[in-house]
Amino acid sequence: MKSEKLKGRKTPLYDVHRKLGGRMVEFSGWLMPVQYESIIKEHEAVRYNAGIFDVSHMGEFLLKGRDIISFLQYIMINDLKLLEVSKGQYSCMCYENGTVVDDLMYYEEKEDLFRMIVNAGNIEKDFQWLNQHIMGQDVKVQNLSSERGRLAFQGPKTDDLLQPLLDVELSNIKRFYFRHCNLNNMPIFIARTGYTGERGFEISFDNSYSVEIWDSLMSTGAKPAGLGARDSLRLEACYSLYGHEINDSITPIEAGLSWLVKPKEGIDYIGKEILMTQKFKGTERILVGLNLIDKGIIRENYKIFKGGEQIGYVTSGGFSPTLKKTIGLGLVKTQHKKIGTEIEIEIRGKLLKGKIVDTPFYRNV
Amino acid sequence: MSYKFPSDINYTTSHEWVEIQNSIATVGITDYAQHQLGDIVFVELPELGMVLEKESNAGEIESVKAVGDLIMPLSGEIVEVNEKLADNPELVNSSPFGDGWMIKINISHVSEIDELISVEKYKEFVKSEEQ
Repeated sequence: MKSEKLKGRKTPLYDVHRKLGGRMVEFSGWLMPVQYESIIKEHEAVRYNAGIFDVSHMGEFLLKGRDIISFLQYIMINDLKLLEVSKGQYSCMCYENGTVVDDLMYYEEKEDLFRMIVNAGNIEKDFQWLNQHIMGQDVKVQNLSSERGRLAFQGPKTDDLLQPLLDVELSNIKRFYFRHCNLNNMPIFIARTGYTGERGFEISFDNSYSVEIWDSLMSTGAKPAGLGARDSLRLEACYSLYGHEINDSITPIEAGLSWLVKPKEGIDYIGKEILMTQKFKGTERILVGLNLIDKGIIRENYKIFKGGEQIGYVTSGGFSPTLKKTIGLGLVKTQHKKIGTEIEIEIRGKLLKGKIVDTPFYRNV
Repeated sequence: MSYKFPSDINYTTSHEWVEIQNSIATVGITDYAQHQLGDIVFVELPELGMVLEKESNAGEIESVKAVGDLIMPLSGEIVEVNEKLADNPELVNSSPFGDGWMIKINISHVSEIDELISVEKYKEFVKSEEQ
């Protein structure tokens, strides 16, 4: 194995990761740990106990102004009428042709103050996208990404482990809701959200607290978990990963996110016409779950065949430690989407038998 | 990082180990190799009876994030494969020199044995890869 000099930005926890045996890889321009001990062990720690993820590379914006809600109603496909103060919402921002700019979460702190969390690889793009659509409205977008740290604390034991460190009652925070509070006297923003399919929280704070907050979470006995486990967990839960299930050539309807595309009566939003048409008329291709019948591992970009014809491709694939077999997601021609349909996946020149299966593979939220 | 390097066997620069008894060579991948690959989730081994040349591809070792090739260290016929790896591929991680062995070859060209490298040479090779 050659060890190349890795290039990328470091989060404040870089040295901590190295000390813990973190194997660093480049991800969206950042040096992040893909694993510490073992992807499978870290995956299992989250499924059965608690795991800690450094997600400080993600972007954080603050939106201020009187017109935020009407502004976001035009940019987002989800409906902010379903939002309220102290609650967060998941959405996609789409182009006019319905394909995805990014998927993200935003949190309503006040009617005129919103916090937004975006994918690490799309920070600049999203910041531009938001700013270029402010048309005389009272909305200002602040990019706090380089000042804020972020950790995900995920697993069935996280409520019990985290409670002693906080000065708020966690049981009062319902799923998707958030609070500002203190963790060992350090101010944090905490939301009951996650990307693993387990109960858990996502915490953001001023950069300067990164190491202390990480150490506090480690002191609970939770395991550090890397990007490898983060990917296998979200794949089992069938959560989209930008660049795979959604990107600037895939629409949310094609990606199985039809529920996210809201009618928003009387409100126009970018991509609405195409997306609502797709929602009611269907699309030519659709995201499906995949298993193999023959032995092997499904991986992204592998071609999917049926009857000698390519009908699609794999968007994400890998090994599921929970189900102890290979799983995948792929875009296939809609006429073949039925669960149980037998297909073939091309793996290194050979066609292996597989089938289309129901999703999600595993969720515990 | 300290890896295991058993001294009573031979190695290759593609990270296989070879243990020879009479004309049968038992082959697997080294502790260094399993560490580089990470959690092994699938091992594809050749069929019994296949005759393969030295340096040809004898199988695939898939980890969560990568695929590695098993390279024939010597030419010969595949006379046994480790069936335990079908259900327990993680044996390659936990016991790369023991229960994680992969294939047994009936050696066809004894002279090829001289081309295998010693544990000392292999240790040096690993050191150079780590720089």
